[in-house]
Amino acid sequence: MNISLLSGILALLIGLIYTVMTFLLPEASIGRPMEPKIFPMALGMLMIILSSILLVQETKKSRKSEQPAGKFTIDSNLKNIGLTCLFSILYAILFDKLGYVISTILFLEGELFLFNGAKKWKINSIVAVVFSLFIYILFSKLLGVYLPMTPGIWI
Amino acid sequence: MDSLMYLLNGFSVAFAPMNIMWVTIGGILGTIIGMLPGLGPATGVAVLLPLTFTMGPEAALITMGGVYYGAMYGGSRASILINTPGDGAAVAATFDGYPMTLKGKAEAALAISAIASFIGGIFATLVMVAVAMPVARFALKFGPAEYFLLFLFALSATASMSKGDRVKGFLSMALGLMVATIGIDAQSGVKRFTFGILELQSGIDFLVIIIAVYALGEVFKSFQNIAEGKKKVQKEFGRIWISKEEWKRCVWPILRSSPLGFFIGALPGAGGTMAALMSYNNEKSLSKHPEEFGEGAIEGVAAPEAANNAASVGAMIPMLTLGIPGSGTTAVMMGALLMLGLQPGPMLFQQQSTVIWGLIASMFIGNIILAFVNIPMAGLLVRVLAVPPKILYPIVLGLAFVGTYAISYSVMDFYLLIIFGVVGYFLSKAKIPATPMILAIIVGNNMEQSFRRAYKISDGSLSIFWSSPLAIALIIITVLSVILPIIGDMRKKRAAGKGQTA
Repeated sequence: MNISLLSGILALLIGLIYTVMTFLLPEASIGRPMEPKIFPMALGMLMIILSSILLVQETKKSRKSEQPAGKFTIDSNLKNIGLTCLFSILYAILFDKLGYVISTILFLEGELFLFNGAKKWKINSIVAVVFSLFIYILFSKLLGVYLPMTPGIWI
Repeated sequence: MDSLMYLLNGFSVAFAPMNIMWVTIGGILGTIIGMLPGLGPATGVAVLLPLTFTMGPEAALITMGGVYYGAMYGGSRASILINTPGDGAAVAATFDGYPMTLKGKAEAALAISAIASFIGGIFATLVMVAVAMPVARFALKFGPAEYFLLFLFALSATASMSKGDRVKGFLSMALGLMVATIGIDAQSGVKRFTFGILELQSGIDFLVIIIAVYALGEVFKSFQNIAEGKKKVQKEFGRIWISKEEWKRCVWPILRSSPLGFFIGALPGAGGTMAALMSYNNEKSLSKHPEEFGEGAIEGVAAPEAANNAASVGAMIPMLTLGIPGSGTTAVMMGALLMLGLQPGPMLFQQQSTVIWGLIASMFIGNIILAFVNIPMAGLLVRVLAVPPKILYPIVLGLAFVGTYAISYSVMDFYLLIIFGVVGYFLSKAKIPATPMILAIIVGNNMEQSFRRAYKISDGSLSIFWSSPLAIALIIITVLSVILPIIGDMRKKRAAGKGQTA
């Protein structure tokens, strides 16, 4: 599937859902009741029109040329992105519980494993620990930006 | 004349030792981020923003300013040495900069790019001193209807000038405006598109989206490049300077490109990339030996470098005086201002003149410091390029998360960061430009509010939007900004079609 076509369909869906949702918005109890809806309604319509134009353009294009340009393929890239998202979600879950330093070390170990490979675990670990401690001391101790502490330890 | 008074006052702020230190630190950090492939000034400012959260407004803005133009300087380092531009504005520096490196003239290329950047930056700052106050004063005449139209113009110009498919540019803009409508409506208190999630009631913080798109999105894109292996970086340099003859070749291109860059930068939507490319083509057509361009002509480095730095300053004018960012980076800078509780726009020059003029004065100082950092110390700094991106990108991710946390101290934003990082990646895969979306998210709220204020003033009649000459002028330039590129395209197509049939 052509990715432009796919994004056109997605945009059309977003536009339709958004427009339906605007109609379902509660009316304002003060001022003109319709007022909070006008701007979003115009936006929803705009989105529907634009995505329709894109769809027409793309179907014309794909008819002209047999091979659709920019084919959407699942590559190793997507696997790494998926894993990064997974690590990030775990990071979000552990962030408050383990404190900044520990959770960041774990997260960076994961990311460095993806980017740099497991073989270089020594460098990876040094980078992860130094970065986490450096940022923690810089932000929390020097700049006064609060970062969650690990329970029971001074950091 | 009062501009000069304010500027002197600004210098007294900018010359404070702490502020000089901050602009130096910001400049160096910005240079380093700018050097990283794929990461430009927008990412630099977004990722380093949390550093400034506890500073006073002057110091914070001065530091961010340093990061901004530091990244502009740094972007061309990677272009010249490894043929990998940091961002769009540094692309033109690869055309002749990299060939120069291949010919063993990396020193001259590095030196001229810093010199040209310096002249472009200083020139543009001087013009800014002259025009900022008049523009701000003029903007005070704008009513809500004119403001709404101005926002509309800035957004549609950005969408229409975005490279690639124009429809996709507008699609990106519409998407951004939709995101901006999420949250409790300020005027009526109606909850809009919050899906019952408490955290969404206050709206989505655009800084999170900026960090997501510019930091996470770029890292996602880089997985592929990293697999492709890395290029060798030249680490040993001779004296980084240029010969008299080389300087003679570059003087006029730099002096021509600086005003051009400034002007293009001040237009909404055009920005550094277009300024650099236009000045490059301009010099190529003016040159007596155009055949050298692309083969390592030193003017080919000087002209775009002067232009893109001048553009980066020019782009600050609509952002500071009107509250309308014209590029991704100025959008991030505006985010920094809003974070500090400063609302960019004409009133800013009246209410916060010390802060603003301190920033402007620090641009002079920052450019001087960066020229020093980038010429004698260039050999030292480019060693960063030798650190493999495999290690640097995870660090950028780490910075993105700590920055996001520092914005609202809430882990909820991490999920938004992830979602919009993926959205940013998908947009780039689908060749949908992200800049119109970012700009729309930032100005969306103000745009709707000015629309509604105008609508209220006119008691529910839309005629207020074409009732003043200024409003009509704005409508005309908006329509032109959309139609002219389309006509240009049609002409090109027709010309190409004729060429084929003949």
